[in-house]
This record gives sequence, structure tokens and C-alpha cells, in this order.
Amino acid sequence: MKGLRKVLTPFAPDQSGASGVLYSMGALIVIIDAGGCTGNVCGFDEPRWHESRSAVFSAGLRDMDAILGRDELLASKIGSAVERIDTSFVAVIGTPVPATIGTDYKALKKLIEGKVDIPVVPVVSNGMKLYNEGEKEAYKALIDEFATDTPEVETGQLVIGMTPLTYGKDYIDLTLDDIKNIRGAKKLVAASASGIDACEYLGKEFEIFSPVFKNSIPEGIKGKTLVCHDEVVGKTLRDAGVNCDIATFFKLHDSVKQDGDKKITQEDEFIEMVRDGGYDTIAADICLKELVPDYEGNWVDLKCFAISGRT
Amino acid sequence: MKREAICFTAEEVLQRGKSDIPSELLSGNNLVYSSPATLAYNSPGAEGFGVKRAGLSVPESIMLIVAPGCCGRNTSLISSMPEYKNRFFYLEMSEPDLVTGRHLNKIPDAIKEVLEFLRDNGKKIPKVVMICITCVDALLGTDMDRVCRKAEDALTGGEFEGIKVRPCYMYALTREGRRPPMVHVRQTIYSLLEPMEKDARSVNIIGGFAPLENTELAGYLKLAGIRNIRQISTCKTYEEFLQMASANFNIVIDPEVRAAAEDMNKNLGIPYIELTRVYSTDKISSQYKALASVTGIDIDDGEEKAEAEEAIVRLKNKYPDLKFNVGECANANAFELALSLVRMGFKVDEIYATLAPENFVYVKNLALLSPDTKIYCNMEPTMLYYKISQSDADVTVGKDAKFYCPDTPNVAWNQDTRPFGYQGVRDLMNKIYDALEEAKA
Repeated sequence: MKGLRKVLTPFAPDQSGASGVLYSMGALIVIIDAGGCTGNVCGFDEPRWHESRSAVFSAGLRDMDAILGRDELLASKIGSAVERIDTSFVAVIGTPVPATIGTDYKALKKLIEGKVDIPVVPVVSNGMKLYNEGEKEAYKALIDEFATDTPEVETGQLVIGMTPLTYGKDYIDLTLDDIKNIRGAKKLVAASASGIDACEYLGKEFEIFSPVFKNSIPEGIKGKTLVCHDEVVGKTLRDAGVNCDIATFFKLHDSVKQDGDKKITQEDEFIEMVRDGGYDTIAADICLKELVPDYEGNWVDLKCFAISGRT
Repeated sequence: MKREAICFTAEEVLQRGKSDIPSELLSGNNLVYSSPATLAYNSPGAEGFGVKRAGLSVPESIMLIVAPGCCGRNTSLISSMPEYKNRFFYLEMSEPDLVTGRHLNKIPDAIKEVLEFLRDNGKKIPKVVMICITCVDALLGTDMDRVCRKAEDALTGGEFEGIKVRPCYMYALTREGRRPPMVHVRQTIYSLLEPMEKDARSVNIIGGFAPLENTELAGYLKLAGIRNIRQISTCKTYEEFLQMASANFNIVIDPEVRAAAEDMNKNLGIPYIELTRVYSTDKISSQYKALASVTGIDIDDGEEKAEAEEAIVRLKNKYPDLKFNVGECANANAFELALSLVRMGFKVDEIYATLAPENFVYVKNLALLSPDTKIYCNMEPTMLYYKISQSDADVTVGKDAKFYCPDTPNVAWNQDTRPFGYQGVRDLMNKIYDALEEAKA
């Protein structure tokens, strides 16, 4: 059945992706939820949370807030927090609750801006899409709000989309200044699906590769290989000489896709690819092995935080 | 901008009174800061026994989480525990589901597919399927009882006939409502019990999802001739769980099971008595006297009370000027524990807890004995700026207190199993003693 998971737990959702992009930018991040979504982000999908504090807050919505659409109350809570928290902008991140009640994010932005004198960046996410979509929306919202057409500072290379959810401990943060000057960057590198989306949105030339895997093929990969990870990880390994097909639960852009590559959604699609593909090696997070217990080939554990939550 | 955490002294809170508790100390008035304590608060399925683990406390049950992917994401933390292997399944909602509600129609087929998967893989077929739904269905107004009945009906006549299907509401939105998720899930669990013949020598201890620790309570009941003391966590099979319906009376050890106890009183004819976990030996003694009086059993608690008080004296003799910081992420009511510690002769510098109006009575008494004790609310946004340098406590209690005071000896005291009564006091004192000795070494 479509949407039924019998073995794997759900992957990182879009709100986690959005939060991950914003985490290091000094924003006051407000997740518009009752609390559970924020708990998921901080307690599970944000490995940095245990090491460094960031201003991530839950809106603390209650049933009547949602039913009556008390956006004014939310704006007041945010206004009150901004008075006491040192921050350069406010980011509001959507969850299933605003998706259900049809929150108008543009109106919410205006409402909050009426209470605070710093920029407000709404990120449209709903908890039903995957993390790369949330990262994309966050990049787009940041670019719309902050990226200048005539940057004052010249920037060298900027790597976009290298977040903990794709790369675990090997992430590279972007700062708010990076976003402000992004149009003046000498070189843009898209390190993941959301990086490609962000670069395409900017309309500038960019390269697609993963700095982690560009000159480093994981030990153990041999023969015909199925890489199941972010598409850019697969492409980078392919460009480095690995004979591979790419399977990804996330986005697969036409600019990456080749014959044999597949965007998969269901557990059964991965099982089918492994069963019918005749692969010598599977390079994927080890948690996926549970889907194909009878696979006898070579397995290289390519960790993906968005899949397993392992850094 | 001050960049410091907001707090109030016990005296300040007392002066303002119960009807004017500072909004910073209450929940629901501000954005919610994500500290470890609020993570447990925030996510009804994240830490300890939230709705998900609670629902699966029914022996031989599985859970189908019908929700947006984000709601089930952190379940991998739980499902990696051996006892939850092959017990969590997910039916992920899509955007069209949100608009059309068609995810509800898929539930019967999804259950069947999960049961077939278990059968085909040689796994045990469950007796109960819990359907866990979340905020989205709360807002959609889904009649989950009807959905579950329909799913049960769909199993009729087939190989899986007789399997119960029940709803678990992981509605974070209703946390401060009349029936919060953790109240509701307990009602769901005990609603599975069916009337049966009473056994005068059977008692249930209800409220927890892990067993009570080795407390004196069980001993008192056994001495009084009670043969079967049942807790849901010690029932190994569904059949054994159903035997809970034969109890002569229920002992309620958590106020969140009160509504379920009322249901059991009404539907099964099982009355209940409520005992509260406190850290004052005098209060514990009073509770046991009340239990003895109501149930007609004899309780001689002299020995256990003396043991608990000896543990207090041992700690007090070795560390007479001990100063505590107390958190709420622990097997204790932070305000009651703080008051008890002060009454034992210790000092309490800081408390990290949300001040519900029903806890005002503890603050009132605390203010008289320790007016300068500072009260912080874990959820308050400025807790982002809390710095350990503000406190010179010698030891902390609670997992959250450890987060705020990482360099101070800590007793997390947040184990799944529940300390209770004199045993709780004695073991906590000994743990504190050990933590201080270890830090010294």
C-alpha cells in the first residue's frame, strides 16, 4: 500500500530541513506547532542541538488557537520573545497544524512585522514532505528576504545544501552574510538536491558535487553499485568512476538522472531495485538492509542522517 | 537587552498570590523554549513513556501511526529498543489526504497488510492494534472510535477476526485540555478490560507504564493477604492483562490515570484509592494510614520509615550544608521535592519547573522556609540565556537540571521504573550521597 511503512521509520520531514538551514544563522526560529514537531526537530533531527544552543522555539499552539486562527496571539508571543532574545531576524516554520487550518504565511509575516522591527522569514512546510523540500523552501525564503543584487562583499566559493541531515558531522553552515552576498559568489556548489534547487532559483551557474565524496570513494565499493542516498552523493561517486545507479528517496533532478537511476518512494521500490538490479555493491545507510535481508552482495554503510538519524 | 534568564523567588510568587502567578512561569503564555525538559513536555511521543510507548504497554499489541511523516520521525529512537521490534508501523499522510480525509479509508487495508506481513515473516500476530493519530485529525474532527470499529469489522470473518482495534490520540494541541493525551491513552488502555468475576485478593496498581520499584507498598499488600498485585507493565500476555478486571480495588499512583480509574469504577465496579508520590516521610506515613483505613488492612510502616529517615540523616551528617537545584524532568514533583528537601534541613537554590496552579501550595510553604529559592520555567524563552555561573548548588536532581548545571554532581532520577513511598526517599538520598562521594573522589 502506498504510504505504508512496515520496516523503516519515516524520514526527516520538511520542517526539519528548514530548521537545519536556519539553525546557525542567528534567527529566532519559531516552529508553528503544539510542541511535538519542535520536540522532533530538537530532540532528533538537529544533531547540533545537543552541542550548541540555538533559539528554536515552539509556538505552543493549543486546540483553540488553531481552531480560532489566533495569529494575533502568535504574533504577540513572538513580539514578546524578540524583546528579550537577541536576534537578527525571525523565522517561522510551518507544520501540519498551519497546513490543516490554511495559514496565510504572507499575512502572518506582515502581522508579525507589525510587532517587531526586524525581518520575518516564513518558510512554508507542512510535515508531509521530505527534508530536502524544507531546505529548498528555507533557501528560497532567505534569498528573497536577504540576498542583494549588488553585494558589497566579494565571496569566493559557497557550498549550498551541505546540511547535517544529508552529511551528518560533515556539514558546512552558511551564515546570514553568505546569503546576503550569495549573488556575488565567484563559485556556487550544489552539494545536495536542495542545493541544486537553491542554485537554480538564484539563476546563476553552479557545479554539482559533494565535497565529502569528490576525491574520496568510500572503501569497499566495487563492481556494479547501487547508491541510495542524496542524488548529489550518487552523482559525485559516479563522476569519480564508480559504476553506479542512483536510487533516492528524495529528489532526483533531470540534470543528475541517467538511465538506471530512480526516485523511489515506497519500501517495495527499493526492494525491487536491489532484487532485480544485479548489484555487486549496495552503498546505502545500513538501516535499509533490513528491507533486503536476503541480499548477499557487498554492503557499504553510507550514513544518511535524514534516513536513519545516525551522524 | 539583558540576555539573562527570567526567574522569580518563592517569596515573590507568594506575594503575588495564586491568582497572579507570573506568566513567565506558566505554560501557554509564551513561545516554548526547547530545553531537554521541554522536549519531554513538547513531544508526547519523544521521551519516557509518551503516547506511543504507553499505547504499546498493552501486552501483545502493535501500533499503526496514521499521521504526517513528521509525527512518526523520532519513533526510530523507540523502535530500536528490542521490546518494540516489529511493533511500530506507519501510514503516512499526504497532502491530498489532508484535504480529502481518504487516509481514514485506507486504515482497514493497512491493518490487514501489516498483519499479513507479520504472519508471512513468522512474527507473532497481535491481539490489539493501536491506531495512533495526531494533531491533524484533532483539527479535522475525525471520529476515531468509528474508524476503529470499522477496521475491527473489516477483520470479521477472516483469519484475523477478534483482534481489537483502538485509538491512541497523540494530540499535542490538547495537552492542557480536559482530556490530555496521556490521560486519554490510559483510558483507551483500560477500556480493553471486560467485566469479570471479582477476586477479593487481587489489586491493581495503575498509572505507570513501567513497574514500581521494589517498594514497601507491595509488601504491605501481601501481608494483608493480597495474592495478585497487577501492574500493566508486569503482565506478560494479553490474557494476563485482562485479569486486571478481576481486581477488588485499584491503587492510583498517577493523577493522569484518574479518569481511567473512574471509568473502571463505573464499567467494571472497581473502586480506587489514590496515593501520591511524595518525598516527605510524614506525608507518606499519612497516606499509608489512609490506605489502611479505607481498605481495612493493617499497615505497620515503622521499619521502612526509619530506614528512609536514616538515609536522610546519613546524607545530612556528611553534607550538612548541602544546596540543591531541582528540575522537573525527574520522578518527582519538583516543587514538592524542593519543599521536602528544605524541610529535611537542606537548601534549595533553584527550581526549574512550570508552575501549575495546583503546585502553588508547595511554593507557599517553600516561601516561608526558603524565600530566596529561585523558580525558573523550563519553557520560558529566556532560559536560552541561563548560565551555570548563576548558581552555586552542590548537587542537582533531574535530567533537565543536569543540562543547566553540567559541572555539578547530578542525580537524574528519571528512570522508567517508578520509585515510590519510603523506598523513593531512601534510594534518592542514597543516590545523592553516592553522586557527591563520586564527585569528591
